[in-house]
Amino acid sequence: MRHPYDTARGTIALGVLLTLVLAALVRLLAG
Amino acid sequence: MDMLLDLTLRWAHFIAGIIWVGHNYSSVVQRPSWQPLRAEELSDDRSPRFQALLNREHGFFRWASVVTWCAGLLMLWRQGWLPGALALQGGLAPIGVGMYIGTLMMLNVWLVLWPHQKKVLGLVPAGIDERLRCSRITHLSSRTNTMLSIPLLFFMATGSNGGLL
Repeated sequence: MRHPYDTARGTIALGVLLTLVLAALVRLLAG
Repeated sequence: MDMLLDLTLRWAHFIAGIIWVGHNYSSVVQRPSWQPLRAEELSDDRSPRFQALLNREHGFFRWASVVTWCAGLLMLWRQGWLPGALALQGGLAPIGVGMYIGTLMMLNVWLVLWPHQKKVLGLVPAGIDERLRCSRITHLSSRTNTMLSIPLLFFMATGSNGGLL
């Protein structure tokens, strides 16, 4: 099975997903 | 004088950051998909793939990561924002998250990528199987930093623009 890091698309998708999760957490923390 | 120092730190942070992450992005552009090294490419140090690996390994981006990190930390400290950023307090939470991500990325370069890359390149003696195993680890470590750079840049941007988060 391929790792998400084995393609540029998978790497970028994970990065965007992590950004959304962290942004939501920071908003939660601020609220 | 203080303003000049602040400007110099910010400038150094940008330039060194671009050198560091630019190297990483250039490797993604040149080789978007994982292509395993072959034993014969490592055993023959004149093979084009091995020569390409050696040519990229000039240490510039590793030291750029240190300059980026130190300049960022110094900027936060000089503004008196370091404790708030470390504690993710209020409006300093976004840049605090960016700081933690940047720290992880720098540690990844020095503690994961570089020790394994030294074996791949033969700078530290290792058998062919071990060098092939290490080449997989260096790939994953490098792509981890590509992935982390996406939220890092987001939190750097939102940290100075504020309001949104």
